[in-house]
Amino acid sequence: MPIRCVVVTPERTELDRVVDSIILPMYDGELGIRRGRAAMIGRLGYGQMRLHTEAGIESFFIDGGFAQVDQDVVSVLTSRALPAGSLDVDQVESELAEALAAPSSSPEQQRLKAASVMRARGMLRTAIRHQ
Amino acid sequence: MANARALDKRRKSIRNIRKITRTMELIATARYKKAMDRAAAVTAYTDQITKVVARLVAAGTEVQHPLLETRDQPQTARLLCLTSNRGLCGGYNASVLRTIVPHVESLRSSVPELIVDVSGKRGINGLKYRQIETTDRYTQFEDQPPFDEIEKIASEYLRQYAFGEIDRLDIVYTKFFSTSRQVPVVETLLPLGSLTETDGGGGGDDSTSEFEFLPSAESILEEIIPTSFKVKLFKCFLDAAVSEQVARMIAMKGATESAGDMIKQLSMTYNRARQSQITGEIMEIIGGVEALAK
Repeated sequence: MPIRCVVVTPERTELDRVVDSIILPMYDGELGIRRGRAAMIGRLGYGQMRLHTEAGIESFFIDGGFAQVDQDVVSVLTSRALPAGSLDVDQVESELAEALAAPSSSPEQQRLKAASVMRARGMLRTAIRHQ
Repeated sequence: MANARALDKRRKSIRNIRKITRTMELIATARYKKAMDRAAAVTAYTDQITKVVARLVAAGTEVQHPLLETRDQPQTARLLCLTSNRGLCGGYNASVLRTIVPHVESLRSSVPELIVDVSGKRGINGLKYRQIETTDRYTQFEDQPPFDEIEKIASEYLRQYAFGEIDRLDIVYTKFFSTSRQVPVVETLLPLGSLTETDGGGGGDDSTSEFEFLPSAESILEEIIPTSFKVKLFKCFLDAAVSEQVARMIAMKGATESAGDMIKQLSMTYNRARQSQITGEIMEIIGGVEALAK
């Protein structure tokens, strides 16, 4: 039972295809979507989005944003959607180390640091899972 | 009558210039098409964001956010001007600069402190000439500004606005309406007053489904407002890039046509000069023959 998935970034429409099911990285955990899901709008976190298709599983790293499910169309609005295969574990690890080393003396810096650490961890999880 | 050889030399050099302007026109056309595609992509994104906001409003969520509230006594305003890095694009930069100067004056009279930022070498030089001091200068944006870099600038503005370092952010750029119409405009990006405007745009949505909000409508609203500011800023950069390419395309088309006209004119003058030279020579020969016959 197929469902349509559209991934849109501000630069282009990254993906528009029919899949069997989708697993989205929400703000507070993963969410699986199949045909017939009730309409919803959700806030996305940083992590792996998996598309189950006839050919197998495809995975992408999603950099926050929003997801909307309406009439069996899943629209994902994100600032970046990278194919999991394009992530390099070593590089992501160094990014995480860099994010962890960032200063956090003011509340604003703490907020920025927390966001960049979460993003790097999400990226690392995606890269490791894909290996 | 001008020297035929000098005329020919001039005609050749104009031909070379015409080749260059023609190539520039073709390049601008190709870049314009690419830039237009990007602008269409960002429209797809903003449409979706607008729909989400409209659904939040339809669900009875109260749209309140610090970024939407106008501050009573603005102390510091920031103005961002978008110009191009390169010239040969007709009146593109001049018209933006003509819009900036009166706006700077009106802001200076209403707000105690004004900071001016500028993108594009032409704008940097133009404002320097007009003795308007600029703080942040960006020269890295060409015909395809990347979202990552603009997001950084947007985040910095959001931080300054949240901390009260700035109370208002205006932008001057060339808005793209159609291929034949681009107008330099001033828009206020912060506070984001026009979210209500986007509400109206998304109101005509055909879906009547009841939406579930995860984790909550407030949490989505908290995230969507900064995102819509970032995308709005990105769209301004894209509009400016498209308008620049259109302006260059038209300017170079005009230059190519003028070069063609000039070549025609010069060819005519050259032929006349050549003819009169030949006539002169014949007259001399006839004169010589007649002198000998006597």
